Amino acid sequence: MSELGDLLKEWMPEQRWFAGKGRVLSTVDTTAIELSQDPQVELHLVYVGYGDGGTDVFIVPLSRHADRNDQLERILVGEVGEDPRWVYDAMRDRKVTPVWLELFAAGHHHKQLRFHLEPGAEVPLDLPGDIVSTEQSNSSLVYGESAILKLFRRLEPGLNPDVEIHDALHTRNNPHVAPLLGFVAIEGDQAKGQEDGTIAMLQTFLPAASDGWSLAAASIRDLYAEGDLHPDEVGGDFASESYRLGEATASVHADLAAVLPTGVLDADQVSGVVTGMNDRLGAALDVVPALLPYADSLRARFAALAELHEIPVQRVHGDYHLGQVLRTYQGWTILDFEGEPARPLAARRGLDSPLRDIAGMLRSFDYAARHLLVDGPTDTQLEYRANEWAGRNRQAFCDGYASVTGSDPGEQSTLLHALETDKAVYEAVYEARNRPHWLPIPLGSLAKLAASETKR
Amino acid sequence: MILSTQQGLPSEPDPEWYKRAVFYEVLVRGFADSNGDGTGDIQGMIGKLDYLQWLGIDCLWLPPFFASPLRDGGYDVADYCSVLPEYGTIEDFHEFLDAAHNRGIRVIIDFVMNHTSDQHAWFQASRSDPDGPYGDFYVWSDKDTGYPDARIIFVDTETSNWTHDPVRNQFYWHRFFSHQPDLNFENPAVQAAIFDSLRFWLDLGIDGFRLDAVPYLFEEEGTNCENLPRTHEFLKRLRRMVDAEYTDRLLLCEANQWPADVVQYFGDPEKGDECQMAFHFPVMPRLFMGVRRESRFPISEILAQTPAIPPNCQWGIFLRNHDELTLEMVTDEERDYMWAEYAQDPRMKANIGIRRRLAPLLDNDRNQLELFTALLLSLPGSPVLYYGDEIGMGDNIWLGDRDGVRTPMQWTPDRNGGFSSADPQRLHLPPISDAVYGYQAINVEAQMRNTTSLLYWTRRMIEVRKQHPTLALGTLTEVGSRNPTVLSYIREYGDDVVLCVNNLSRFPQPAELDLRRFDGWTPTELTGRVVFPEIGVLPYMLTLAGHGFYWFQLSRSESRA
Repeated sequence: MSELGDLLKEWMPEQRWFAGKGRVLSTVDTTAIELSQDPQVELHLVYVGYGDGGTDVFIVPLSRHADRNDQLERILVGEVGEDPRWVYDAMRDRKVTPVWLELFAAGHHHKQLRFHLEPGAEVPLDLPGDIVSTEQSNSSLVYGESAILKLFRRLEPGLNPDVEIHDALHTRNNPHVAPLLGFVAIEGDQAKGQEDGTIAMLQTFLPAASDGWSLAAASIRDLYAEGDLHPDEVGGDFASESYRLGEATASVHADLAAVLPTGVLDADQVSGVVTGMNDRLGAALDVVPALLPYADSLRARFAALAELHEIPVQRVHGDYHLGQVLRTYQGWTILDFEGEPARPLAARRGLDSPLRDIAGMLRSFDYAARHLLVDGPTDTQLEYRANEWAGRNRQAFCDGYASVTGSDPGEQSTLLHALETDKAVYEAVYEARNRPHWLPIPLGSLAKLAASETKR
Repeated sequence: MILSTQQGLPSEPDPEWYKRAVFYEVLVRGFADSNGDGTGDIQGMIGKLDYLQWLGIDCLWLPPFFASPLRDGGYDVADYCSVLPEYGTIEDFHEFLDAAHNRGIRVIIDFVMNHTSDQHAWFQASRSDPDGPYGDFYVWSDKDTGYPDARIIFVDTETSNWTHDPVRNQFYWHRFFSHQPDLNFENPAVQAAIFDSLRFWLDLGIDGFRLDAVPYLFEEEGTNCENLPRTHEFLKRLRRMVDAEYTDRLLLCEANQWPADVVQYFGDPEKGDECQMAFHFPVMPRLFMGVRRESRFPISEILAQTPAIPPNCQWGIFLRNHDELTLEMVTDEERDYMWAEYAQDPRMKANIGIRRRLAPLLDNDRNQLELFTALLLSLPGSPVLYYGDEIGMGDNIWLGDRDGVRTPMQWTPDRNGGFSSADPQRLHLPPISDAVYGYQAINVEAQMRNTTSLLYWTRRMIEVRKQHPTLALGTLTEVGSRNPTVLSYIREYGDDVVLCVNNLSRFPQPAELDLRRFDGWTPTELTGRVVFPEIGVLPYMLTLAGHGFYWFQLSRSESRA
């Protein structure tokens, strides 16, 4: 291991974006690609070998300074033997952040690294980028009010679906996605059959926006503050926003189907889907025994899916919930077409039913309605009102969706309910492991899903 | 009472005074009765000018006080050049103008050009003598089928825009009430007569007109008869006349239209050669909606949709006025919502609006009253206060038409609220006398004795506004924050930079503001001059009380300057 590798081995596990938390790092090696000489900025591909045998490649931009800088103490990675000796986190070294935009503007192509600017895109120059403090798995820089650069922290072979989808939608001018300005690709070694990977994407920044979760939470708080009113009677009613969100979702789905591949799952493939759902339920029962009473009904719900002989599929969002949508003064914008981050990239680029996204958003309405209740004592009156809010907004979302497509997604209940059930099973496992006091949210939903099945 | 030392209007011309002015709408009938006949009058208003000067008012807007049968609150004018006798005389008005000007207060008056009362001599002549000089002063027709695409405005009371006149045995055109026939602006004699009437008041020394109902002056088949090109041509001619013959006079247009249509009333986008001011109608219902929804987006949207206006022009904004809370400028869905939220009693609904005063609309919640007033005084445009709202007066929804929000001003806890010495039975409208809003509880005298009163607070905020021209003249840029319930914006005018942060939620809220552009600047809170921590590149964290707000002056930190 190099000297820098040793530093990174200490430094990386403390970074929020580091996906190998809790695992033992046995080897850390890095390859540097120079981005700029003055200031000295390098893009490091950091190859991590874990004690458990796994490997990862992380993308780590570093800046190097000849002198130690007191003001940058919080972002110091360490000192190396050769000049410039002082190594810093380039994403939070504000003075070096304009480098990215300069390279975009120059159409920079150096070694395997290629900066691609979308046709007609303009990038602001001489603007520092500011790190977004709320991010988890990636790191983003906001440039003024015009652009946002998202750096993907884990390098995987293949085009990142977020870039791929935004690039494909470029021609559609869909008002519900933020225009792509460009991306940074790293070319794979073709001799070894390596695919290109994606380092970063540059997108139009949406100033003064709020995410859907914050808006929904404000509505819920307003509802709970009015003891005796129904969700359609309180000032903070969210249904018109949910309706518009449904419209936006349908519009983006239509454009995705228009510019990217579509297909149909045949009976065999459908039964494969059912098997996958049953397997996940089986595994979940080990982690969440509380699911046992509902298992048979939920299996019946999946089994019903097998009777569908075909399911139309297309590219979808894949990890759709209220936190993935932004409200601006112009309406809703859908973000982050990366798919579920835990899944391998190839799977995230696969085709799926658009009802997968709808199910995700419907689940999110349930979560929004009930997340304020998890820390309090059981209150059946509030539970009732939470369900009322969720029901009203779920319906409004479906109505908005139907107003664009002409058919209510709720009418495809067999598939929609199976997808919702599958998602809630996933949530139950996640909550049991990470936030046990939130477990009642998916459990409550699964109880309802199970009960509605037996009524039929 | 502390009086401002500044007296009188500036001696130099000040053609854009209206861009910085705080307006105050006052009904002569409802403000102060000097002679004990139960009706407010001009002499009564003269006696209250010191109060208005103390409050910080720059310009009074007087709804019609002309001779009128008063079937539409005086908007049914029977003689453009005389004062309703109950209010006083032209001489009284002259005295009032001088007294106001001596205190640095300008006066604009309503002028209703579109129509007259059916009692106006012109109409009486027109109906009885079709071939006489006034025969063509109104829009007459043998049929009642013309202009079918024009909507009916007063849907409560009118079924058609045409009404049959038995004397002339023809139908006459009226966009408003059937007792208010529309003048025929295609007739040059009508235009000349109107110009002469306007000159009459300009010669007396008034500072401008609020032009009532201007979108409807001309009619044309196949159109909705609103905002027609000939209407704009006429207004441009009017403006040329005013500018050529007088100085520092304002034309404020009342066009209850969407901002994109209203901007036409400013005229040329560079020169602004029509009206200098126009009301921004959709802002007001959106403010109510934003606070009720606890979401900034209803307001952000309308601000973003507001087009640029010529440099010499200004919006007029208001929370309430003598008309109902207008809901014409909202979508059907929003209108249903506003009705459901703010007008639970059907009597509170009038035409397409809500007839309430500010305080009852906000459940008399002091925090919300302050928040709304702070928004009014900090959003782009010149604020127009409605008499009585500065003390939080209530309304009386049981009075007919729109009288519920036109009750007598409450000056003292004495008889008739100090408005009049008349027998209470003689008052033109009963003063509010309920336990919460009645004059015993809510009156100027009590609030002037208490420096924490709403009145003192309002006065203080007007004062702060005047210290920061950017609140009148500056650009507006919304400031990003993840919190959807917090509306923040920067007003910027040269070095005068003010940050306004408003919590639209009833709950305390954090706001992490994106103020990177002001890295190294320091906020100073404007009411208490408390210096807040310096702004950096990280989100600037503020916490706000429920319905709380801040106004900050931003200045470059001295250590870095």
